[in-house]
Amino acid sequence: MIAVAGVSKTFGRFGARRVQALDAVTLQVRRGETLGLIGPNGAGKTTLLSCLLGFLKPDRGVITVDGKQPDDLSVRARTGYLPERLGFDRDLPGKAFLAFHWRLAGGAPRRAAAEVEAAADRVGLERPALARPLRGYSRGMLQRIGLAQALFHDPELLFLDEPASGTDPRGVALVRERILEAKARGATIVLNSHQLAEVEKVCDRVVFIDSGRLTKSETLRGDSATRRRGLVRVPATDLADAASVLSREGFESRADANGSLRFPVGSDDDMARAVSALAVAGVPVYEAKISAELEELFSGGAGA
Amino acid sequence: MIEMIRRFVRQKFGSPGLAAALAIFAIIEIFTFANGAGRGGFVIVHWAIFVLAAGSVSRDISSGALQMILSRPIRRTEYLFGRYLGILASYGLFLAVTSALIFFVVHLAGRSAAADTSPLSLVLLAADVFLTGAFQAAILLMFSTFLPGIADLLGLLVLFIVLNLPPWQKTWLRNAAEAARENILPTVSWNEALRGQGILGAATGRWVFALTVYLVLAALIFSRRELPYGQD
Repeated sequence: MIAVAGVSKTFGRFGARRVQALDAVTLQVRRGETLGLIGPNGAGKTTLLSCLLGFLKPDRGVITVDGKQPDDLSVRARTGYLPERLGFDRDLPGKAFLAFHWRLAGGAPRRAAAEVEAAADRVGLERPALARPLRGYSRGMLQRIGLAQALFHDPELLFLDEPASGTDPRGVALVRERILEAKARGATIVLNSHQLAEVEKVCDRVVFIDSGRLTKSETLRGDSATRRRGLVRVPATDLADAASVLSREGFESRADANGSLRFPVGSDDDMARAVSALAVAGVPVYEAKISAELEELFSGGAGA
Repeated sequence: MIEMIRRFVRQKFGSPGLAAALAIFAIIEIFTFANGAGRGGFVIVHWAIFVLAAGSVSRDISSGALQMILSRPIRRTEYLFGRYLGILASYGLFLAVTSALIFFVVHLAGRSAAADTSPLSLVLLAADVFLTGAFQAAILLMFSTFLPGIADLLGLLVLFIVLNLPPWQKTWLRNAAEAARENILPTVSWNEALRGQGILGAATGRWVFALTVYLVLAALIFSRRELPYGQD
């Protein structure tokens, strides 16, 4: 659905002001896929998102969405977008903000009031807050109302830039639920986030960007998953026994300082087999889970 | 387009600071007329165009509002001309309200003899100021598509200063400067033109042409403008 081929983007022309924000980035996002963009600050994630939305034009390379330019109106009619910081008219009440975006997205004006209230309910924004101007909103409330406008008309394409940034734990869970809902109805989602645990929960695939280059791509779900780690926590005294049991089952494990063993697993069945073997061998299992361990990958310890 | 106009009007009149500034302009103008000092026309309301039009595009870009708008199925030209028409609508509304208040206040105060505040005269005065403002707004809009913040005001000021430098000594330079001024910043006596005196004259033609050029330039620059936002 989204094809990015050899995209480069440089800001500034001379000397120290010249910054290569993107360097020959090539990637594809399939229809219905949720892609996570991961990278340190200044890596080029927002620049890539801006190019995908047609706000910035690449110096080299091509971006297409269903074979069309990203700023094609037919593409935009199917797009929902949440910026990292919602900087809209600060004197505008929340209700008017949502109604404006409902109409801009092609919604019937007579249905605006009902749709605005429904959208606010979806993101847990209380009705009295809708009457207040945006300048009185907290960071978390701005994210919620921003997400509400992005979800108008159930867009096929969702671009979310740090959607849960500044929200409380309930807000984080709510953002996750809305993303999973969009995913369930087949939306293609590009998510830029530093909250790796959340990225892992919703993304099918992640790409790592560093200094404008796409350094790694990992599939987190499905049969072609490339990054699935089993983690079992056992008593420290049983670590060696557990490692040899897992080795007999064909899992090459690695122990960490917390008394846990990590090992690559291909499927949920593999994990069940590992836990079952430990139980049969009489090794108590305190905790068992499958994780992509993006944090470890992010900090460069991708060897496990 | 209508949404863009509505947003602009709401943005301006919904801002307490801006609404207060406009109210002050109106009050000063009313008092000026009531005291008979406004005989020659409005004295302060034409400054409102600078308050209304400054940074009309650049501030939307820096706040990220424009990026949100353009993520919707909206053409850039639709946004841009919506902005321009929004400026004109706000300015027109402000002038209409101010003129109406002048009429009522002056007539209620019984001081109509001090200045010509007949409805026709006020309409012509307001139209004169409005059309002059419409031209200045087009220049500000053009500068706002590529200058940050309210640097468009500075752009207009520089343009005005350059075109009104002291008379050149050499005749051909003086003629060139005069031609540039007439074509780049043409002035039309709208009060007379709207009374039918030279409405189809060369000055009006130059005004229409220059206005069109500024708006076309604004559209061309804006259509190629990149819209960065946030940080990586």
